[in-house]
Amino acid sequence: MDLSFIGTMFLRILGGLPLTLNLWGLSLLGGAILALGLNLLRTTRVGDKVASAYVFVFRGTPLLIQIFMIYFGLAGFGFIRHSVLWPFLREPYWCGLLALVLNDAAYTSEILRGGLRAVPRGAVEAGRVSGMSRFTILRRITLPLAIRQALPAYSSEVISMLKATALVSTITLMDMTGIARAAISETWRAVEILLSAAAIYLALSLIVTQLSVWIERRLSPWQFQRTNR
Amino acid sequence: MTDTSKTVLSIAGLRKSFGANEVLRGIDLAASDGDVISMIGASGSGKSTLLRCIPMLEIPDAGTVGVGEDRVSPRGGRLTRAEEATVRRMRCQLGFVFQNFNLWPHRTVLENVIEAPLFVQGRARSEAVDEAMALLDKVGLAAKRDAYPAHLSGGQQQRVAIARALAQHPRAILFDEPTSALDPELVGEVLKVIRSLAEEGRTMLIVTHEMGFAREVSSRVVFLHQGHIEEDGTPAEVFGAPKSERARAFLASHFDRNRQG
Ligand SMILES: Nc1ncnc2c1ncn2[C@@H]1O[C@H](COP(=O)(O)OP(=O)(O)OP(=O)(O)O)[C@@H](O)[C@H]1O
Ligand SMILES: [Mg+2]
Repeated sequence: MDLSFIGTMFLRILGGLPLTLNLWGLSLLGGAILALGLNLLRTTRVGDKVASAYVFVFRGTPLLIQIFMIYFGLAGFGFIRHSVLWPFLREPYWCGLLALVLNDAAYTSEILRGGLRAVPRGAVEAGRVSGMSRFTILRRITLPLAIRQALPAYSSEVISMLKATALVSTITLMDMTGIARAAISETWRAVEILLSAAAIYLALSLIVTQLSVWIERRLSPWQFQRTNR
Repeated sequence: MTDTSKTVLSIAGLRKSFGANEVLRGIDLAASDGDVISMIGASGSGKSTLLRCIPMLEIPDAGTVGVGEDRVSPRGGRLTRAEEATVRRMRCQLGFVFQNFNLWPHRTVLENVIEAPLFVQGRARSEAVDEAMALLDKVGLAAKRDAYPAHLSGGQQQRVAIARALAQHPRAILFDEPTSALDPELVGEVLKVIRSLAEEGRTMLIVTHEMGFAREVSSRVVFLHQGHIEEDGTPAEVFGAPKSERARAFLASHFDRNRQG
């Protein structure tokens, strides 16, 4: 193997890191907000049906098809081409980001739902009898407990989303995978290039794994420390 | 209690059904300042349901609940917006101690106690902490201030729960079988704390199966049977000379069990 070639490629692929991080971070942020909204929606009977249908569609279809539908499919609708959103929706960046957000929201909302269901009823009742408002109970009791419960599952969703960002390279975006694909078609030296790209993804995954362990220990110290009664 | 004392807690015509199961069939009960009322009765007689109706953890089908100057008479199994605000005011004047403690597992002992003072009553942190430490000292757990509930015994958790209830400055404290989830050797430490509260003149309504304790600390004992109050009197009256056949049978079986125990 040609180490200097790998080094060159590694640096070239790193040029796509900002876009990868951008898509990754924003899709997680947008997905989390939407996921919270979907769970609030579930408190009404109709809303619950809507949220279920949403989750069913976005978890049940390939992300690649969702990206293509938004990038190629939306242009087929005249009312979208004439809407104020068109300047955004004709850009591959916004289409890719939108697809990632919508997809992440479906998975994250299910993870959050699992966490919410695991919140002990007694903890909420203790909040109610102490005079807390619904919002205070949500903020101080329900969400903190649900998030702690959901954290391990959420950390794998975070890693999934990192890998999912690679799919935007199919709609001309030059994220790390996009750059790697371009480099392969120029040089035909796929193995070195792909290994370089994989190494960067792996390093980012490692950071997430370590960070999630650290956060878990910070948030739920009672599950880790052992003390005598 | 004397006639001049103030009514802190009043329940009138309270009814509650779960489906076809009519659990409370018209309950009237009032507590004056300083009353310690023990509520006894067989399993399933509706004691917990009655207690939970007071802060509207269960919404009654009919009747009125009053705490201090506030009162609500919810209809149709739900609260209106205005009633909800009243209920929150009522809750702020009550302390509720659950059978299963229900401490917040993600907060330390101290954080459990200062939670409502800080986030409901909006008091200053330093003041809330000082008071919480005094309360923890009183229940013998000041040294555990930074422990999480998972690291405490049941008796310790229940004492923290009592300190948490006291931190709200309640006008009355409701206990739902505070020692029933405890190992026998831990019952005493919790009863001791409740006894000290009785001696301070706190107003309390205590659901309990601890007959000896009820007899000793209560100013009044009520016996609940199938959703009715069948006996209501001083401990001497209810334990010594119960009027109803059912109360006699209940007490006989209970004291039998205790003797064998
Ligand atoms: N949330 C509920 N849904 C349906 N039925 C309920 C509910 N809560 C209580 N019940 C029923 O109401 C009746 C009275 O229950 P409650 O818990 O008030 O009795 P209790 O006197 O506290 O008994 P115990 O001494 O066992 O605690 C029981 O038949 C019970 O099954
Ligand atoms: Mg009960």
